[in-house]
Amino acid sequence: MATNNDNKKAIYSIFWIWLVITIVGVLISIKAPAWLMPTSASSTMHLVIETIVVFSVAAAPVAALVYAVALYALVKWRWRGEGVPPDGPNLRNNSTLTAVWIVSSTMLTIFLLIWGLAALAVDEGGGNGKNPMTVDVTGQQWAWSFTYPGTHVASNELYLPVNDKITFNVTSKDVVHGFWIVQMGVKVNANPGVSTSVSVTPDKIGTYDIRCTEICGLYHAYMVTRVHVLSDAAFSKWLSSQPSRA
Amino acid sequence: MSRVRAMVIALVSIVSGGIVMALMGFGLASAAPHQTPQYAKDLGMTTVTVGGKSVSMKHVALTIGTYPDSMFGVHGAGGGPHPDWVSYSSSNLVVPAHSLVTMTINQYDSGGPLNNPFFANVFGTVGGTATIDGKVVTKVDPSAVGHTFTLRGIPQNTTPLFVSVPLPENFATDTPLTIGEGQYSKPVVVTFSFMTGSKGVYNWNCEFPCGGSRIGQFGEAMSTYGYMSGTLTVK
Amino acid sequence: MTTTLEHTPTKGAARGGGIMRRLNFLTGIIGGVLVAALFYVIARETLDQGSRTFVDTLTTLTGVGWVIGFWLGIGAFTGVGRWFIGKDQNHDDEMYLAGKDLGRARYWKYTTDHKVVGVQYVIVTMVLLAAGGILAMALRTELITPGAHFVNPQIYNAFISVHGMVMIVALIVAVAGPWANFVVPIMVGARDMAFPRLNALSLWTLVAAIPLLLGSLCIGGLSMGWVTQAPISEQAGPGMDLFALAIITFAVSTTVAGVNTICTVLTMRTKGMTLERLPIFVWSSIIAAGLGLYAFPFFLVVMALNIVDRTTGTSFFIASGGGTGWLQENLFWLMGHPEVYVILLPAVGALLEITTVFSRKPLFSYRTAVGGMAALAGLSVLVWAHHMFQTGWAPTLGGPFMLTTELISIPTGIVFLVILGTLWRGNIWMKLPMYWVFGFVFDFLIGGVTGIYLSDIPVDNQMHGTMFVVAHFHYVFVGSVLFGAIAALCFWFPKMTGRFLDEKLGKISFWLTFVGVQVTFLSMFVSGLRGMPRRYASYAIIFEHTNFISTIGAYIIMAGMLVLLAAIIQSWRSGEPSGPNPWSSKTLEWLVPTPVPLENFEVLPVITSDPYTYGEELVNS
Repeated sequence: MATNNDNKKAIYSIFWIWLVITIVGVLISIKAPAWLMPTSASSTMHLVIETIVVFSVAAAPVAALVYAVALYALVKWRWRGEGVPPDGPNLRNNSTLTAVWIVSSTMLTIFLLIWGLAALAVDEGGGNGKNPMTVDVTGQQWAWSFTYPGTHVASNELYLPVNDKITFNVTSKDVVHGFWIVQMGVKVNANPGVSTSVSVTPDKIGTYDIRCTEICGLYHAYMVTRVHVLSDAAFSKWLSSQPSRA
Repeated sequence: MSRVRAMVIALVSIVSGGIVMALMGFGLASAAPHQTPQYAKDLGMTTVTVGGKSVSMKHVALTIGTYPDSMFGVHGAGGGPHPDWVSYSSSNLVVPAHSLVTMTINQYDSGGPLNNPFFANVFGTVGGTATIDGKVVTKVDPSAVGHTFTLRGIPQNTTPLFVSVPLPENFATDTPLTIGEGQYSKPVVVTFSFMTGSKGVYNWNCEFPCGGSRIGQFGEAMSTYGYMSGTLTVK
Repeated sequence: MTTTLEHTPTKGAARGGGIMRRLNFLTGIIGGVLVAALFYVIARETLDQGSRTFVDTLTTLTGVGWVIGFWLGIGAFTGVGRWFIGKDQNHDDEMYLAGKDLGRARYWKYTTDHKVVGVQYVIVTMVLLAAGGILAMALRTELITPGAHFVNPQIYNAFISVHGMVMIVALIVAVAGPWANFVVPIMVGARDMAFPRLNALSLWTLVAAIPLLLGSLCIGGLSMGWVTQAPISEQAGPGMDLFALAIITFAVSTTVAGVNTICTVLTMRTKGMTLERLPIFVWSSIIAAGLGLYAFPFFLVVMALNIVDRTTGTSFFIASGGGTGWLQENLFWLMGHPEVYVILLPAVGALLEITTVFSRKPLFSYRTAVGGMAALAGLSVLVWAHHMFQTGWAPTLGGPFMLTTELISIPTGIVFLVILGTLWRGNIWMKLPMYWVFGFVFDFLIGGVTGIYLSDIPVDNQMHGTMFVVAHFHYVFVGSVLFGAIAALCFWFPKMTGRFLDEKLGKISFWLTFVGVQVTFLSMFVSGLRGMPRRYASYAIIFEHTNFISTIGAYIIMAGMLVLLAAIIQSWRSGEPSGPNPWSSKTLEWLVPTPVPLENFEVLPVITSDPYTYGEELVNS
């Protein structure tokens, strides 16, 4: 039948367009996330970037399919005559196509879900840090303050030893703030009256950013401070050199 | 309609729309509350020890006050729209870059307990100390604080600065001083110095809950521009 | 050539109406101002002026007075009132209310004719989009480089909050307001909506809410985003009370409209119009309306609890009083997520309708399309906590909500299947509405895929609260819904006015807007990926390039919207005449004359097939 040949011709051309877009998409997916995102300073952040790459690679062929068909329609099936175009073929449905579409999108979703759940389980462990340590984080309008339980040290910038598993107990004195260590991929809200917690293992020495991510009023944009990840020796030195403030 | 006519209409609509919006923007900018900047007073040069070495630096002084109401003059006749709100004397401070800034804050207001004893400590000043009515301290009693002066910026845009000095409660009950339209008691005088780095704009605010609302008293004066917060421009 | 706006002026010939003859928008405003002033004075005299909640209670009562006064002044409840006192409206009164022989005046009055309400909704949508757009320009201009420029952070925070809310309201009504009102009754073969007076009520209640919403900016604004999270919402000045009242008023408007739409479609279809022969736009309208009926009461409740906390000292949302902010967040997002599908579905329905007409092909897989939309609506009520992954509320529920959120991508994929299937081997007629359809396909894919990233908790831990989220939802709201709304306008403009929306100006507008959207929001994705949080009045230097580019893109979008406005004004007044069915469409609204007669049909049609019979002669020959 004429219709089957028309379908075949279209599918053939669309396949090539799809292939090109997919390849470009996959290449971008592999390279772009790490290039665009901040340096990774924890195993959690590595996992975040890896997940973004996987999701992008999975999304590339889907996006390519939609764009390829739309592009082909725009170029090949465009009516270039005058006035109202004649009717097209009465193609009301195609059960096979619909079934394949729904099944494959379900399978893709399930794959992404399994990946996501696995990554979540790893994240909640907080990394493979050695000596576990706790830091109390207090957010208030509009400054972060950090205290180290068991010591009298209090600071407005966070200092951490590298490769230790740090658990943050986060609370707020007034409204909800968002505690986010940008390069470590951890974020938890600071709520008044309750304490929430999140764990992470920093694995790279350096200075990183902490930013507030829940709008908290006038100086929300300035509720920004830094975190310094130091070697064990440097951290002990810092800790003992701090005056008693808490 | 011809293509030319369409282009002309498009251009005219974009330009006129742009002009209308620009006018709105300028109107908005000029209607916003502006306080005249307060420049630091030049005190000449001084020598400071930085990291073990002696460095010669510009020395400037800045004097501001914290008031229990808004009647002292800056907010306009009758105390402005919120005469009963606590207020700093100025919200717009300017200091030079790479200099030693000595700040004197006259604290006229009463106080109470801090909601976070963290801010009873002195941070970021030269020597880590502040002088309160002549006495040199590194922290004050967290249950008797009037306000704080807490200065910070966006670390990546400016030399990171975090200066926080608690301003103790003023217990005096008589009000012999007349400033503007208000009556105030003898102030608690707090002096401290810090060093500025490169150019930038910093924000400072009070971290003592002295505003309105049920939540941590950070509403009203604390959340409205021009009262308990301001900018420090390092030029 | 007469348009729907140029009825023969026989004003004197209108009979009936009673008191409604004297009531209109102006009397509504006067009534609103008077009763607001009355409530203000009473409240000020009777309330304890020294109490902390005085200003909030005063503001709330004044706002309530405005709404009641506006309703009274425009005659919203005259019909009910007259029935109550035994002098029920007669046929002449109802014809008067429907705008018979009133000429242009009927657009300024409490008119029940669904076509008039549709036109009024077009104007209201444009006003809302203009207000939100001006605020957006202010925001983007402020963010052009780091540091404060022409607004301080307090004003900036107020602007983002009101921009968000105004745009959300605008998009909720953008397609459903004008077109579910103007087109759906004709599409199902009815003479008007099921409840014509409620139809006018829903429009005028929306109009009453607008001054409350914009007024909140004038009395100190609010600093907590459109989400008005507790407890910071309790800290805000009186602007928050007006804002909450505006939402409550809006929820009333939208509930009334939703009930009306559903009842009309379920009970007033003409003979032969079975549910399987309904145009897809009708399905999308009732599914969206039903979802809205579920979701908006949550909005009303959360705002009411906010007001009660602020004015009477309860502690629903205050931890120190025994409440919790998490209650507010849950209630809000129970509304907030279904609401975005209430926004999306009518736009998708309109775009599908347009795609069939301009591909000259039946809708691909009609049942799957309807089922997909229903699944989308159904699943959307199960995903709300994906906005709350980092709140610490229920860490163990992270997995289940991740599951439901990822599942939503399946019905979303069905939307693409149906559009592409409809385009397949059609004769694509590239008139103005079709440009927006292709723009939608491009943008909605990006918006949808980035949503999938956010559904994954580890990625969301990084991206929540950053500009990545902002770019994601702007791709969906601006790139998809707004494109759908504009496509619907271009498509039904000839039916509404008898003229074409100018193709050349429309195409200029399309290209400016489309390019502007990509420039603004792709750059915004990069801002977010690099770590810029949202709702920031100022930002670190590393974000300056991407923000600069986003601001330039925003100006390009503004240019596109201005050209569209020029196109609408020019075409409405002197555009090319179109005739009753310029697109040779098969849905019922195109088979009635233009301007559409007051009661739509001389003789109610009998339906023998769905409106997608393109190409059937070819099959049968």
